[in-house]
Amino acid sequence: MAAAVDEFEFFLEKEWSDGFPVVTPTEARVRWMLAGTRRDPDEVVGHIPPAGEVATVRSVAIHALMAGCKPEYLPVVLGGIKIILREEFNMGGVQCTMHGVAPLMIVNGPYAERIGLHGGNGCFGPGFRANATIGRAIRLMLLNLGGGISGRASATVFSSPIRYTACLTENMASSPWESLAVSRGYSPQDNVITCAMAENPRLHFDDASTEPERLLTGIGDAMTAPGSWNMWFVSDMVVAMGPEHAKLCANAGLSRADVIGRLSKLAVRRQSSLKRGGNWRPERARAMGIDPDDDNAMVLAVKDPQRLHLIVAGGTGPITAVCHGWNMTSRAVHGTYDV
Amino acid sequence: MTNDLGFIDPTAGGARAKIALAPRPMDLAGKVIGMIDNTKEQADVILETAAEILRNRYGAAKVMIRRKEHFSRPASEALLNEMAKEVQVAAAALGG
Repeated sequence: MAAAVDEFEFFLEKEWSDGFPVVTPTEARVRWMLAGTRRDPDEVVGHIPPAGEVATVRSVAIHALMAGCKPEYLPVVLGGIKIILREEFNMGGVQCTMHGVAPLMIVNGPYAERIGLHGGNGCFGPGFRANATIGRAIRLMLLNLGGGISGRASATVFSSPIRYTACLTENMASSPWESLAVSRGYSPQDNVITCAMAENPRLHFDDASTEPERLLTGIGDAMTAPGSWNMWFVSDMVVAMGPEHAKLCANAGLSRADVIGRLSKLAVRRQSSLKRGGNWRPERARAMGIDPDDDNAMVLAVKDPQRLHLIVAGGTGPITAVCHGWNMTSRAVHGTYDV
Repeated sequence: MTNDLGFIDPTAGGARAKIALAPRPMDLAGKVIGMIDNTKEQADVILETAAEILRNRYGAAKVMIRRKEHFSRPASEALLNEMAKEVQVAAAALGG
């Protein structure tokens, strides 16, 4: 009988996938994947909300295998799912929300480089196995163990392409600054994962600026928008600055912290502009300490500069990518993982 | 975990007990009804209006409205337990 079953069709019909074929998990293949860790396969990693099914080292390995990971990617998947399940990140809320954000994993440190995680040309897109499959493994667990399936537990209106995979590293070879992890106090030798809830990257072209103020004014404007929750909640935002833009700032003497500070001030919009459409409501303005009748009040997209996650990524070219965030019930998380 | 096809069920191994759905009442007359305000704007207006209809048109004895901490967070165990003790019918109610 087994010979008559098409394994790819079988997994798609069972809804055990994200819509793409998966690598069929067999006992032999899962043993191969488990060679990527020294941890006990029965060790509990956590419970995936909202369904709350248990993720063990073995079930994480099964999903990593299905996603197409190599065994050496497994420590990143194990580290990623553990950090995503931290209470303050509120993965359960995002599993059910109308919104379409995804937990974006930014992996820093030597292990990311060793396994080929990519932070250069095309790092948000297809073509890079580690980026594609580590993020996909996380997503498959959110679907299969968490039940965050669109139209069922998930009330997401659109979902988003970033929900297929959302994992990258920084382009340290072309970055003028220390890594995101080092900026948070980790050593360059630490293997660190940062996760923030993020929308799809929006590309901001600027091939005209020759000094930072104009460049950052434009990026700051792209960080604001009617309809973005960043305007009305204290929430996270990720800005992936292309190396050209980062170097333009660094060559003018700006540090990473300087750029974060400047963007936090420049990402601002007059309330009259936000009132023309989108999710402005008087009670939301009041919640941010803004008089809803004061049309000239300036509304910051970044209420707390600690929650602006600046990375240097992408290839050569005059572009910075801006990822808007979700709401105040999720706080970005970071920590080391074992390799 | 391996079935007779030789594949592993990636969702197997969960030890969580399945909870049966509560029986559905055929009418609401004389019942205490619970509704959870999810904290979205104007939820209170919507739920108070619905409560009035449930009382006046459907004969509900009482409608109990409780507010959870935040719409993106689950209701607390304490809130759920309180409602479970007092109401016969509960609805996760939304504002927006």
